[in-house]
Amino acid sequence: MPKMTIAEALRQAIREEMQRDERVFCIGEDIGVEGGFGGAFTVTLGLSQEFGHDRIIDTPISEAAIAGMAVGAAIAGMRPIADVQYGDFLFNMMDQLANQAAKLRYMSGGTLSVPMVMRAPVGTTGRGAQHAQSLEAFFTHVPGLKVVCPATAYDAKGLLKSAVRDDNPVLVFEHKLLYGSKGPRSEKGAISPVGEVPEEEYLVPIGKGIIRRPGKDVTIVANLLMMYRALAAAETLADHPIDVEVIDPRSLVPLDKDLILESVSKTGRLVIVEEDNLTNGWGAEVAALVSDKAFWWLDAPIKRVAAPDVPPPFAPVLEGEYVPSEQKIVDAVLSMF
Amino acid sequence: MPIDILVPPLSQTMDTLVLVEWVKKVGDPVTKGETLFTVETDKATLEVEAPGTGVLRTILAKPGDEIKVKSVIGSIAEPGEVLQGTVAAVSPSPAEKSQSLGIAVSSSQPVITTIGSGGSSLPVERPGRIFASPRARRLAGQQGISLTELQSSGTGPQRAIIERDVKAYLEQQSASPRVTPVARRMAEMAGVDLRTVVPAKAGTITKADVQASLQQLGPSVSVPASEVAQGTSWKVKLTPTRKTIARRMLESHRTVAPVTYMSEVDATRLTKLRKRILRELREGADRPTITDFLVRITCLVLAQHPELNATFDGETLELHESVHMALAVDTPRGLLAPVIRNAERKGLAELAHLRSDLVDRAVKGTITPQELSDGTFTITNLGTLGIDHFTPIINTPQVAILGVGRIREVPAVKKGKIRIRQVMGLAVTCDHRIIDGAPAARFLKDICTLVERPDMIWL
Repeated sequence: MPKMTIAEALRQAIREEMQRDERVFCIGEDIGVEGGFGGAFTVTLGLSQEFGHDRIIDTPISEAAIAGMAVGAAIAGMRPIADVQYGDFLFNMMDQLANQAAKLRYMSGGTLSVPMVMRAPVGTTGRGAQHAQSLEAFFTHVPGLKVVCPATAYDAKGLLKSAVRDDNPVLVFEHKLLYGSKGPRSEKGAISPVGEVPEEEYLVPIGKGIIRRPGKDVTIVANLLMMYRALAAAETLADHPIDVEVIDPRSLVPLDKDLILESVSKTGRLVIVEEDNLTNGWGAEVAALVSDKAFWWLDAPIKRVAAPDVPPPFAPVLEGEYVPSEQKIVDAVLSMF
Repeated sequence: MPIDILVPPLSQTMDTLVLVEWVKKVGDPVTKGETLFTVETDKATLEVEAPGTGVLRTILAKPGDEIKVKSVIGSIAEPGEVLQGTVAAVSPSPAEKSQSLGIAVSSSQPVITTIGSGGSSLPVERPGRIFASPRARRLAGQQGISLTELQSSGTGPQRAIIERDVKAYLEQQSASPRVTPVARRMAEMAGVDLRTVVPAKAGTITKADVQASLQQLGPSVSVPASEVAQGTSWKVKLTPTRKTIARRMLESHRTVAPVTYMSEVDATRLTKLRKRILRELREGADRPTITDFLVRITCLVLAQHPELNATFDGETLELHESVHMALAVDTPRGLLAPVIRNAERKGLAELAHLRSDLVDRAVKGTITPQELSDGTFTITNLGTLGIDHFTPIINTPQVAILGVGRIREVPAVKKGKIRIRQVMGLAVTCDHRIIDGAPAARFLKDICTLVERPDMIWL
């Protein structure tokens, strides 16, 4: 089975979907210019040669325009894959996403649908407060949007393909440190999860999480980069000996509640790790869910490990303190025993 | 900074305690709140929690040592931390330096909330509130275990009771054999570890089992280290509990003017009533004993005789509204008198439950000093040991005590006919400084009336 990075897997997903369905097209900034990177992180590299500039559409620097065109095209029957260079720029298209894309199907009684995909890189990577946020939680609060966050090459391809075929707007959050450490746009500190990706057609369903590491003593729910830190923490904790189960939710909306509840009812302890600021994150929603539905299975208070409630700092030392570390996850788990 | 391990002031009456054992050894990681060592006070064996998290680095007292309250008996340090005095050439860390210069390090840093570890601790323990995880409560509920049985055995975060504590309790319940009180005392005196005794009849260790074990081990074991052989007699170092009993008994004998009043009472109806209740009792409920009935009866009678529910320090007589009923209990460490608070407000079933729990923990040595203080009246029952009459000694500063004798069948003459009746000896010792003969006699007569007509206790 071929191995590839997440960036390569996403590119393959886009290529296959564009080949399969001529309504699918890409729209974004510098995604197809000759001699460019292929978007900010190489995902669309080479696709303009293959599909031409009619289907790999470069726009002026206007995120509101990208989102507005994507919403309009989707209503008109197209299947746009739009992207922003940094997830932080999603704030520029908030009205298009939260007021239009999310609500039109509902407001039209199902007459309209908005089958669009919005890809957004997230994660703190030494670029200061405006190119570093993890924005998944913002969009989990908007009914009508689906939110996915693939952390492996397999999931990246399978979830993006599912997103393209979904009749609802889907936000795909990709982590900058997980795209792959190869190539001109690799980020310092990237961990490059190269994974096997089947050649044959497959989909990863939206709304299904996965157990990355089975364990019996404590459940850690963590997405994107934090999932890898949780796995590393699990190895450290195995010496204590604490047997950690790591769950990658993969989708935040809809959330695989059954998987989490089943795991907690087995382990009795829950830690949620998110790279976003602590307050009102998606982790708080998971904590509330579990304390409601699995209260009598809990053997310790639910813990969240998240960034403190400050903007992502620019200084590398502070950034190191800001992003939840393996050690902080280990400490949180140890405090529950 | 290393954290000093201090001896907590656990006893109101003693400045020194005896170190029973260290639960952790030097080098072990310890977490704040988990049990670090156990001590024996004059009343009970108690667990002491670690004052901080780190590694147990030094131990300055060994098991059996008398340790002074508030003295340092060890230290906990961070892993890798160098203890003061061990290596001379260690420069303080920047944080420590600025601390010693009086600079507040934290104030110049941005607000960064610590997330994940620690968190705020539980509120200070309130009486009657047991901290247990939902999962632990669930399991305990399923198994029909009262969480009070698990009190202070919690090993979870902030010493809360969690699932593993309930599981450990269940395991212990099913694994450890019952030990008869005589066997336990004998094993204690001879220094025999009960875990090494193999019972002849599965499930119960008896006196004979301990004797057999002693013979097997030979004479060297029968003389514990604390006892120095001198010819055929031994000098036995008194335990703190025994010292306290000795002091208090002498104090009572010296300061009180005791008079004991005795009566024989027909307890036929009481025993019948008890049997009837036992038949109706739901499964698993604590079975009311004759003592429980007498607690109830005494509470009712004390309401009519408030001067007997009192304490007297030689100057001031204090009458108490509530009856805090002390019950004399024979334990392996000697006589203890755990207290049922506000006994007059409690029904028979609750009295039986509380008595069962208190006696159990008094025998096990896990009872707290608070549970052994503030009694206002005492009942002592030697009936189960075959005693008909005795003169109980007053539990000062209380002014009266009720002694209960055996219930036995006797031929009794009633209305010219001889019948078989169940008769019980009752004795009340009163401090004549406070209670004259006539009121004492009236008190005992009222007790007898209720024993003879026990249906009145429901009124």
